[in-house]
Amino acid sequence: MVADERVVGVDVDRHQLERVGRPDTLEGLARDLALVAPGARVQDDAVHAAEDIGPGSGRIRPVQDVAVEDVALHRRLVGGDREAFDELYRRYSGIAYGLARRLTADASLAQDVVHDAYLALWRAPEAYDPDRGAFRTFLLALVHHRAVDVIRREERMRARTEKVANLEPSASEDVAEAVTDESFLVVRRQQVRVALGGLSPDQRQVLEMAYFGGKTQVQIADELQIPLGTVKTRTFAALRKLRAALEETE
Amino acid sequence: MSTDHDHIQELLAGHALRALSGEDAAEAARALDEHVPACEDCRRTLAAFDETAADLALATPPVAPPDLLLARLHRDMAPRRAARSWHPGRVMAVAASVVLVVGVTGLALTRGGGPGSAQLAAADLNAAIAAAEAPDAETRTVGETTEVTVPDGFYLYGEDVPAPPPGQVYRLWLWSDGEPYYVGEFLPDDGTVAVRVLVDGEFDDVVVTVEDATTEPAAPGAPAWQSPAPTAA
Repeated sequence: MVADERVVGVDVDRHQLERVGRPDTLEGLARDLALVAPGARVQDDAVHAAEDIGPGSGRIRPVQDVAVEDVALHRRLVGGDREAFDELYRRYSGIAYGLARRLTADASLAQDVVHDAYLALWRAPEAYDPDRGAFRTFLLALVHHRAVDVIRREERMRARTEKVANLEPSASEDVAEAVTDESFLVVRRQQVRVALGGLSPDQRQVLEMAYFGGKTQVQIADELQIPLGTVKTRTFAALRKLRAALEETE
Repeated sequence: MSTDHDHIQELLAGHALRALSGEDAAEAARALDEHVPACEDCRRTLAAFDETAADLALATPPVAPPDLLLARLHRDMAPRRAARSWHPGRVMAVAASVVLVVGVTGLALTRGGGPGSAQLAAADLNAAIAAAEAPDAETRTVGETTEVTVPDGFYLYGEDVPAPPPGQVYRLWLWSDGEPYYVGEFLPDDGTVAVRVLVDGEFDDVVVTVEDATTEPAAPGAPAWQSPAPTAA
């Protein structure tokens, strides 16, 4: 929680920080952020403030440095370096597994998703092109795509409950498994949370249903009883706004 | 959206979230093939949306995966070789146990849905070989067309299976009543393939395609191998 306070860079009381630390939904997260840090911008000063919150080292490496390291690790991976694979697993498996569990709402399926994504990375590392973006972007997209595929296959086999489209921790989730971020991601996570707080509730809703619910835009339009074109417009606007907010922090 | 250009970027937003379907997905695929590579603005937009979508993953707390998951990966990363010699090019089915053994394609894993349901899983090599070489094993010919019911599943097994081009994977599809059902994807492990396909339902054909590993399996890609389904017990 101390990390949250320093990253966001605003004066808040302990109760408010606790709320920021464990958001229930994107909407709830944004509401809390609006309460705690209206207009807060996670800029360079936030990064500097966070420099001493990394476990052990007392200093956080900039995300850009980590991205360069990722590319070097990927290069070794192409050459069949298992230690590079293990390092990339150590760096991102927590995010990947958390994401997969949120989407599938099933620990076993989530393990399969992460397993398959990493195994695909090992077997076809050339699928990642460093010229097209960060390694983390590639890997998390791979995990997300596979998790969405699992959701849709499950839907074809049986009617699903609504639990996957909710950021509320599922009953089966063992919160004791929650882990601390890689230190360099602490800042980025805060930046994402602040950026989400800048979206309208309607925009957050379509993002949540699409990204975490694995729903198509057609399904979202049906469920919300709104025109498909509106879903597309909201999605486009939400991503553009989110991107712009995150770019300000880079 | 006032222009085609804006319309394409709107599609790219849905694409980044994997939220497109039907004609929108097809239109996005065309744009990604034809327009985006030549349009710097759209390339930048695509990269930005992809990165932003990946950042959304950070909105959910990280969770430590079970320790066994890395061990499982290490196991599956290890070269696997057949315990005994095999003869590529043969296709055999053991009717009694509903086992199809293929000597030209092969591979390794995943799970999925399909006609009823179908799942891909890494197979026990020795079990697949033993089933294929059982006295009652039935030899089948590639290309034979038979509509069958498979109550349990079958194996895909092969050696000397070539790796697909870089960035591509083999994908397994089942055909039922003229409709393709995606089951899962795999890669040869040091040339060896051993996959068990569990099926609950009816299908007509087994088709393996070669496709871009990063694309959604919305429709079958270029066929790499095709066979009629094995006969049920």
